[in-house]
Amino acid sequence: MTDQNMTGARAAPDTVRPWDPVVRITHWSIAAAVIANGLITKPGGALHVWIGWAAMAVLATRLLWGLIGPREARFSAFPPDPRAALSHLFDLVRGRPREHSSHNPAGAMMAYALWACLVVMIATGLVMTGGKSPVTITEEKAAVAQGDWSKLVEEGDAGSDHEDGGLGDTVEEVHEVVANLMLLLALLHVAGVVAESRALGRNLARGMVTGQRR
Amino acid sequence: MGVSDLFPGSGRTRQLGLAAVMVLQSVAAVFFVGDAGFDLITAPAAGHSVVETLVAVALVAGIVLSARELRLTLEHVRAQDRALETARGELARVIDEQFAEWGLTPAERDVGLLALKGLDAAEIAGLRSAAQGTVRAQLARIYAKAGVSGRAQFAAWFVEDLLDGGVAGPERTTG
Repeated sequence: MTDQNMTGARAAPDTVRPWDPVVRITHWSIAAAVIANGLITKPGGALHVWIGWAAMAVLATRLLWGLIGPREARFSAFPPDPRAALSHLFDLVRGRPREHSSHNPAGAMMAYALWACLVVMIATGLVMTGGKSPVTITEEKAAVAQGDWSKLVEEGDAGSDHEDGGLGDTVEEVHEVVANLMLLLALLHVAGVVAESRALGRNLARGMVTGQRR
Repeated sequence: MGVSDLFPGSGRTRQLGLAAVMVLQSVAAVFFVGDAGFDLITAPAAGHSVVETLVAVALVAGIVLSARELRLTLEHVRAQDRALETARGELARVIDEQFAEWGLTPAERDVGLLALKGLDAAEIAGLRSAAQGTVRAQLARIYAKAGVSGRAQFAAWFVEDLLDGGVAGPERTTG
């Protein structure tokens, strides 16, 4: 082990930098939130909204980290570049992708696409719930459950967003369509990681768990 | 398995803890800001709302600052790791070149490297599944080729290099 370190130090140059803990934690938190809200929780339920708000916080953290985090976590390390993404995919198909110090160009496009989806999901979700925090929603639900229906009346009076065929319906439709798109992208993302891991001969997913990418 | 092997590990655990707390802070902040925002809209002038807004601003500022701190810590630890790695590589290169200059055979190089790491003849023999006598003979030949009196002087040859500033690694990697 130590022998390997000593003689192999030169063999593996510093091109592949480890994923820092913020990247890893936000990655898996978002993944868990997407799976939970996309497949498990009841849409519109209090838990669904709680998870959505938590995901909003995690996404905000990751985006902040994209500005002030370490080099390989910053947006500048993986600018959106569709042409580079395509050529990377061609390399991948030919079985010889190049190593990248941050996300590979195709992975970068995927990250931006998923983030865009998340922003849309969160924005439409907020519109659908009238921007009420899950704390408020839980309290209101508890009040209604106890027989105090005044909250429902209030909502009905001010509820221009609940009119049939109005803005509310469009927003709801966007929320659903983008949710499906995001799940599809997530599947593609996993497929891409598997393909790239095969081609590079090392498990890329392990790098996102332990941080060690070599 | 020395100190250097232990420290990056514990450093990583600490970083993971810091990052986890930071993410948790953000989640807490978002819920708080959401609630404060709701109060601010429903009762903008109330003292309650003003205090809540203040707390929200402080929370967010705290998160941004701790994120910056964490970034600096990460970069610092990484710079140290890199310096250590480079120093290791540099030492390995120096040893390699010196062994070549002395004209050691591949077998002698292996034995010489193990001897430098502090293994005695019996341990080396065990590792290489060779007879102890063979290893002793190889060691003697190595010392003869290097022109040193024994193991202590042999090891000192390379330490001396280090003390003379033969390793330029750390300076080279910064920047």
